[in-house]
Amino acid sequence: MAGTELDLLQGTLDLLILKTLVWGPCHGYAVARWIRETTEDDLRIEEGALYTALHRMEKRGLIEAEWGMSENNRKAKYYRLTAHGRRQLRARTEVWTRYARAVSRVLQTV
Amino acid sequence: MSDGPFRRLFRLDRSRAGIDRAVDDELRFHFEMSLEELMAHGLPPDEARREAERRFGDVPGTRARLSRIDRDRVEHDRRREWWSALAQDLRYGLRGMRRSPWFAAAVVITLGVGIGANATMFGIVDRLLLRPPAFLQAPGRVHRLYMARTIDGKPLYNGSLQYRRFRDIAQWSTAFDRVLTYWDSKTVVGRGADTRELTVGSSNAALWSMFDVRPVLGRFFTDAEDRPPSGTKVAVLSEAYWRSRYGARRDVLGSAMWIGASAYTIIGVAPHGFAGMSLETPVAFVPITAVASDAIAPMVQESRPWYDTYHISFLRIYARRKPGVSARAAEADLTTTLRRSYLAQADEQPAIVPIERALPRGIVSAVQDARGPEPGSGPKVAVWLLGVAGVVLLIACANVANLLLARALRRRREIAVRVALGVGRARLLRQLLAESVLLALLGGVAGALIAQWGGAVLRAVLLPQVEWTSTITDVRVLLFSAVVALGAGLLCGLAPALHAVRADVADALKAGQREGTLRRSVLRTGLTVAQASLSVVLLVGAGLFVRSLQRVTTVHLGYEADHLLWVSPEMRGVQLDSTGAEQLRERMLERAQSLPEVASAARGVTVPFFFSWDVDLFVQGIDSVARLGTFTLQAVSPEYFTTMGTRILAGRGIGPEDRAGAPRAMVVSEAMARTLWPHESPLGKCVRVNADTVPCAYVVGVAENIKRSSLGDDPGLHYYLAIRQFALGAGGIFVRTRGPAERAAESVRRALQREMPGAAYAKSTTLSSLIDGERRSWQLGAVLFAVFGGLALLLAGVGLYSVIAYAVTQRTHEMGVRTALGARATDVVRLVLGEGMRVAVIGLVLGAGIALVAARWIAPLLFEEPPRDPLVYAGVIVVLLAVAALASWIPARRAARVDPSAALRTE
Repeated sequence: MAGTELDLLQGTLDLLILKTLVWGPCHGYAVARWIRETTEDDLRIEEGALYTALHRMEKRGLIEAEWGMSENNRKAKYYRLTAHGRRQLRARTEVWTRYARAVSRVLQTV
Repeated sequence: MSDGPFRRLFRLDRSRAGIDRAVDDELRFHFEMSLEELMAHGLPPDEARREAERRFGDVPGTRARLSRIDRDRVEHDRRREWWSALAQDLRYGLRGMRRSPWFAAAVVITLGVGIGANATMFGIVDRLLLRPPAFLQAPGRVHRLYMARTIDGKPLYNGSLQYRRFRDIAQWSTAFDRVLTYWDSKTVVGRGADTRELTVGSSNAALWSMFDVRPVLGRFFTDAEDRPPSGTKVAVLSEAYWRSRYGARRDVLGSAMWIGASAYTIIGVAPHGFAGMSLETPVAFVPITAVASDAIAPMVQESRPWYDTYHISFLRIYARRKPGVSARAAEADLTTTLRRSYLAQADEQPAIVPIERALPRGIVSAVQDARGPEPGSGPKVAVWLLGVAGVVLLIACANVANLLLARALRRRREIAVRVALGVGRARLLRQLLAESVLLALLGGVAGALIAQWGGAVLRAVLLPQVEWTSTITDVRVLLFSAVVALGAGLLCGLAPALHAVRADVADALKAGQREGTLRRSVLRTGLTVAQASLSVVLLVGAGLFVRSLQRVTTVHLGYEADHLLWVSPEMRGVQLDSTGAEQLRERMLERAQSLPEVASAARGVTVPFFFSWDVDLFVQGIDSVARLGTFTLQAVSPEYFTTMGTRILAGRGIGPEDRAGAPRAMVVSEAMARTLWPHESPLGKCVRVNADTVPCAYVVGVAENIKRSSLGDDPGLHYYLAIRQFALGAGGIFVRTRGPAERAAESVRRALQREMPGAAYAKSTTLSSLIDGERRSWQLGAVLFAVFGGLALLLAGVGLYSVIAYAVTQRTHEMGVRTALGARATDVVRLVLGEGMRVAVIGLVLGAGIALVAARWIAPLLFEEPPRDPLVYAGVIVVLLAVAALASWIPARRAARVDPSAALRTE
């Protein structure tokens, strides 16, 4: 187990959440599931940390929340991107890609 | 919302419980979904739950964290919304102002005048009565000390005390940890062409430990430098003088500065703004014993030296209570000390009233000099005027409320529409209030500017002896203005806003323009009546003070002060024997008489309202002359009575024949003649002056009474001797100028300066400047009451005009109907005029009633003026009716010109 899983870098979780919400409003559970499925369990994210991140981002105005009805007709809290969040996503994605490219280039030269 | 799969079903609950509930709901949903999915993958419920919790991590910790984050967010949002709503309200207000700039200007100016009046008066009252001296430590524990005695059953307060008394208190009292003696006086400073009369402060070294100050440069003087009989001649400059006179040079330390008769070594500079206990910053602070040994010691002819005698009173004494000692206990301690001191005084002066009758006691008063046991009328008048300024502001507020009310009526439909569209009434109220507060704050800015410029002129003219910090930089005055502005904004905005908001929507939307005005005009008329009555009160006050000032300036002094100068030599250490001193004054007299701007000149030794001299008198047939009153002495040369303009009522004045060797001559005042010889002619009577062994002085004439120490009841017991029969070598000369004395003062002084030996300095003072100090409180009262009363009248007039004018426009239809039915123009004018006059008359009755009641309290501040002077009341009635007539005549004419057909067609 250890060594094969990546520890999540600070701020990366935010980026993943922003990316998740780009398709449209989601509740917390859906975000968690989507990240889990997409990363195929490569990233182990505690859902508690995920919710903490969601609420922090709401406070910072990156996303906003609203209560609505879920697919199975239950009351759920939906998050969606704000304009500010969308801008952040663009900016951070670019930074992240450049960073990842640089790191992997260094690693490949060994 | 439009792009989501959800509907807004649940209102946000912002309470703490609501936030917690929301977090729980969110997490519950999460776990339900989690369990369902895991069970769908075939996990049994128990295992599914465990797996879900494992995936989630720390559940209670996360829940707490989430709720904390949300609470922060909600709080933050709430604050932002509040500010943005405020910004929106202000924008709305600004928009309103831009839409009707004249309305805004009228409100801002009206409130500005009211707030400016208050800020000005507050500045004065604050400076005189409220603010402790700058840098003073523990001002609540620092007191000015007074000595009270009972003389003829009446309390007599002394704030001017002796150095010996100060030593007694410092030595014997136990309640104080610091005792300060302080004296400031105009003193001749500098040498040669540079010589000026400037204020010098002197004190003991306690000054430096009672104030929280450090020298900007050098050091302060110490106890060791302030020991009687003569302290060290060292001086601490004030920062302002250091800057203006020495260009803030650091090498002034150690250089010499001439103060009075001696050269002082400059040892330090006090910080900016430090004025000691003076209202006006002295140029320098010096040890009291250093100054007194020059200025006071020569005046003392008693057997004891100046620092040990109870004869010379010139000091103010302040003391700081020890922590934990109450003011009452300190006063008791001071009384004990003063009784002991009084007994010591009786040793020196056996003739003083015995202690059982004099009952000396101490008074521990506030540190501000103007709050002593017998405050001068200046501070009292200032406090009154602050109240008056408050009334002016009330009147201004009533005017603004009136304007806002009228506008609220005009905006009824707009407001009703907004209410109908769902704007909350609370929000609307806030918006309307924000608008009036915004206007008031602008008024506050205008008021501060008025206080800055108008107030500066006023204070310089009326209270020149006080140094003023300018208003703009004075934080206390600015804060006061801001608070007053805010209050005024709420006060005058509230009623109109409430009215506007309370209006019935449906009513306002469907009704015509004229509906619903009647009820509200009752309120508006009420405001106008209040304005009129308050103006009446202020105008009566103005009238009373103007009459007082009139009386005080025309009071018969017994000399013509406007044309008189007093010039006296300040010897500054130059030693002359009595012959030399006598010759110097004769030379000054001759020189003065030769000047073209001088009509005549005469020698004298005492000056009215400046200083007096009394000695024992002995008259045959009278046991104790002293018991009949205090008789004050003047010694003059023959030209005296013509120079002063004092009339001789019987016999003759002092003449050239009254020379040394001739029988001593005396002229007595009318009052003195009547007191000493009520039933006989005083001429030829013998009075022995100073001792009953000296030769007789024979009364040769009677002069009219003069005002010597009080413009009111002056006992006028005064007599004149021939100066050349005594060769006193004292005093100076009175100069009667051809033009106003003010203008000739400096040229006469310079001419006489040429007669001065060595460093001696000729000082000149106009007599009117000495008397002005006495007149100042009435001047202050008259000018400011008149200004404020005028403002009040103007505001009330404008208020009345706007109400009547508004009523006329509202009743255009009615006027049209009346005219159509045959009313003549004069009938319509009479109708409208009558309405205005009714308001004025009700206001007059109410205002006069208030003024008559208030007369009781203002009476002590007036000068020989009955507080219910019918002339003043009559004048006020005429003025108010005239203004009311003018204010309603303008709209009345407009009403009379209404074209009936046009008026009827509009509806």
